[in-house]
Formats: sequence, C-alpha cells, structure tokens
Amino acid sequence: MSELVLQSLYAGLLAGGYYALIALGLTLIFGTMKVINLAHGEMVLLAAYIAYTAESVYGINPVLAIPLAVAAVVLTSVMVYGLVSRIRQDRELNSLILTFGIGIVLTNFVLMVWSADIRSTNVPWFNEPVVIGEAFYSTSAQVLFFLAGLGLTAALWWWLGRSWYGRALRAVASNRNAAMLMGVNPRTTEVISFVIAGLLAGIAGVALYTVAVIHPDLGHNLTIKAFVITVLAGLGSIPGVLVGAMLIGVAEYMTITLASSALQELTGMVMFLLVLFIRPSGLFGSRGRVG
Amino acid sequence: MPLRLENISVRFGGIAALTGVNLEVADDSVVGLVGPNGAGKTTLFNVISGLVRPTEGSARFGDTDLVKGKIHNRARAGIGRTFQIPQPLHELTVRENLMVAQRFGAGRIDPSRIDEILDFLNLTHKADAQAATDLALSEQKALEVGKALATEPKLLMLDEVLAGLETSGKRAFMTMLARLHREWNLAMIVIEHDIETISRLCQRCVVLNFGKVIADGTPDAVFRDPEVRRSYTGTGAAEHA
Repeated sequence: MSELVLQSLYAGLLAGGYYALIALGLTLIFGTMKVINLAHGEMVLLAAYIAYTAESVYGINPVLAIPLAVAAVVLTSVMVYGLVSRIRQDRELNSLILTFGIGIVLTNFVLMVWSADIRSTNVPWFNEPVVIGEAFYSTSAQVLFFLAGLGLTAALWWWLGRSWYGRALRAVASNRNAAMLMGVNPRTTEVISFVIAGLLAGIAGVALYTVAVIHPDLGHNLTIKAFVITVLAGLGSIPGVLVGAMLIGVAEYMTITLASSALQELTGMVMFLLVLFIRPSGLFGSRGRVG
Repeated sequence: MPLRLENISVRFGGIAALTGVNLEVADDSVVGLVGPNGAGKTTLFNVISGLVRPTEGSARFGDTDLVKGKIHNRARAGIGRTFQIPQPLHELTVRENLMVAQRFGAGRIDPSRIDEILDFLNLTHKADAQAATDLALSEQKALEVGKALATEPKLLMLDEVLAGLETSGKRAFMTMLARLHREWNLAMIVIEHDIETISRLCQRCVVLNFGKVIADGTPDAVFRDPEVRRSYTGTGAAEHA
C-alpha cells in the first residue's frame, strides 16, 4: 500500500510539471491585464492537434513540431489580444465572455478539421518506461515534460524578475497609469505577455499530446484545470503555479489510487473551493501580482 | 522648454471641471497651484500628464503636443509627476521602481544615477525593500518623487506631496524640494494647500476655483487678493465686506 502511495506521489509530481506548463500562460495574462483567457485550454489543444498532424501526416516527431505548434498558438494568442484590447469598458468581465466565445470557435474549428475521434501518439519512445530505484514508474514523455515544466517556470520567473521587459510587465501589472507615466508602453508589455502565453501553451499542447489522449472537448477541461491551479497558486504568482500544479497532480493521483479514477477531476474542484473559502488570495497570492 | 496651456476646458458629463484655463510655466520656475478641494488642480495635472483629454484647448510642452500624444511618451518628453496618494509599483522593490523609470522614461541605464537619487531622497537603506509593504508614508512619498526624478524630467509636477506628513517630516520634505529646484535645475508645478509651503517654495502662484483661474501672481500678492481669500481660505469675505 505504501508503495502505491509513493508511486502516486511521484506520478502526481510529474503530472504537476506539465500542469504548470498549461497554467503558466493563463496566470501571466491575468497578472498583466487582469484578463482570464477562457480560450487558453483550446489554444493548448490546438497545439496538441498540430503535433498530432505533424506525426500522423508528415511522420515528424511531435517534439520537433514544437516550433510549428508554438507559431500557430502565438499567432492565435496575439489575435485574441487584438480582440481583448478593443474592449474599452469593464474589460475584466467582458473579456470573460469574449474569450469564452473564442474558445467555442476554436473547439469547433478543431472538431471540423480533425473530427471528434480521440488521438494519441504512436511514437514508442514517449511511452517507454522510466524506472527509478525500482519503485517509481513513469514514461519518458512524463519525465521530459516534467523537466520542461520546471525549466520553463524557472525561466519565466527569472525573466520577469531580471529582464527589462519582465520588470516593465510587472510594473504595468502593479499600476498601469503609474507605469505609463514612467515611460512604459503598456500595449507592448501586454502583447509580450500574450506572445509568451502562446509560446507556453504551444509547448504545453505538444506535452499533452505525448502524455495523454486528446479529443476536441478537452479544451474547456484544460482551461478549468489551468484556472484552478492559478487560483490555488494566487492569481499572478509564477512559483505558486508550480506548487499549485503539483498539489493538484498529487491530489488527483492519490484520489485515483486510494478512491476512484472517477473522482479525479472532483478532487481539484474540492481543493479549489477550499482555497476560495479559507485563503481567497491563494497560497502565494496578493492581488494582481505577477512574478 | 516651457509648458503652455491655452484655453483648456474639461467636462465630465454635465460638470465643468476646468473652463478656459491658460497657464504658462517657464524653464526653471516653480509655480504653486492652489485652490479649494474640487477646484480642478488634479484634473489640470491629469490633462498635462495625459490621463484626462481636454474637451477644448491646446497644451504643449516644448515641441510636444500634450493633447494628442500618448501618455507613455510624456516621460521621454521631460514631464514627471507624482500622485497625491502614492502609486508605487508594488510588485517591484524601491530600486526596481527607479530602474524601470530610468530605463523606459529616460531611455538609459545608469545605476550610479539611481544611487544618487536614492541617496538624495534618503532611501538608500530601503533600496531593496518591497515598495508595497515595507515603506512608511514619508518614504512612499519620497519614492513617488524618486520615480519622477529617475525619468530625468525637465518639468516636475508634485501633487500634494506633503499631505499627511507630520510637521517635522513636512519641513524635511520642503527642504528637499527646495534643493531639488536649486540643484537639479527643474521647473516645478506644486499643488499644495499649505500657504507657508507655497510662499517659501514658489516664485509664482496660480489659484483655481470652480475650474477657472482666479488669480496669478507672486504668492504674497495672490494670498492678499480678497477673492482668493474668500474662495480659498474662507477668511476674506468678512474682511472684504
């Protein structure tokens, strides 16, 4: 029994790595613009289907399709920004409606192009077992994208803290008017945050395709998962996203092991509600922070 | 590079916040902007800094059209401002606040200049403190001035920087502002309710009431004006009668 629990803990932590990849973009955009992009999951899914097409049609390894997936999702993300930035009044509320609508459009686009069938990778390497100490089992893809999740979270955190545009982005997130009067062009920082969110969603999509099965309805589940992680972390907190993602991952896998796989998604929602009741600003949150 | 406002009017719905305001501020001069609450002082600052677009009139700072220009270009044009309620970039440290202002407002990176500003404002010991949580009110006010200074302005607009400070804090801040004008060679517009501060700091004083300029002259002359006393201090009416 204890071995099963340890294995669940390990698998949950690995899943947390790629959950973080999915949630980082949503967190970044909320931190910068106070916009919750409800089309985020669909953008991740779009990248997953591009990886699928690269593999199934052109025989390209999905990992090598990352540049193409990233390019497509970044373009989509910038188009979403173009629409969101046109909202002049009540941006926080109206952007929810707008991005929800964009999500529906993207889901139907995926359905139209790739049909409703479920898909998964046929590249054997991704499903090869990785065994550590004869107790911890996982696949190559899980380990690869766990490490990618860790690395990209650290890179984003470093970039926000140390680069000039990272600081500018935090400045706009802190106080838009004050930042503008200090010479920061908020539109530039907002576009940058959507580009980075698109980049992360693109990589997350390829990760998703290699570790799980995909289908067109998955988008809104991914958005919900990203949103739950973001709230759990504290809206806008980058290190919090990694911790929140791992907590969700571990809780889900523990639920599967100790209870039932049918309750997997419910676990995340229960944690979400508990955090909202007990600590509404999240585990690492202060309002509007990013970094 | 003088500031020139001509016939500036601002209406919020049916309310006239400013009506036909003319104001010229020459290089190196210090102008006090006074008036009762709701007179339009901060609205005028908002027009100059681009946060409010005037309904009528023209505003120029040197070659820069302040009516059409983008807000984030004000800093590059040489205009810096503070807010009555400090607006620190709360996710950044004190030093980072100044670094961002210098990099994006002045368009250069000069760490020694940042150290100089921190030293001038007595904030060196708080350089690595979080702007949101670790500063007393007087330090937040100093940071407000520091952010504006880091953009290397030619015109500094100070919106009630002394408000809320204790007497000793006010005195120290006023000395610092006087040094600022003298040593940093800046034109300044100072919104302040305290007559003594205006008299000591400013060569000229402009009084607004109900969005209109009702007096413009030396502080001594302005504060003797019966209309100013009536509208601003509330003491002139009886004497005038």
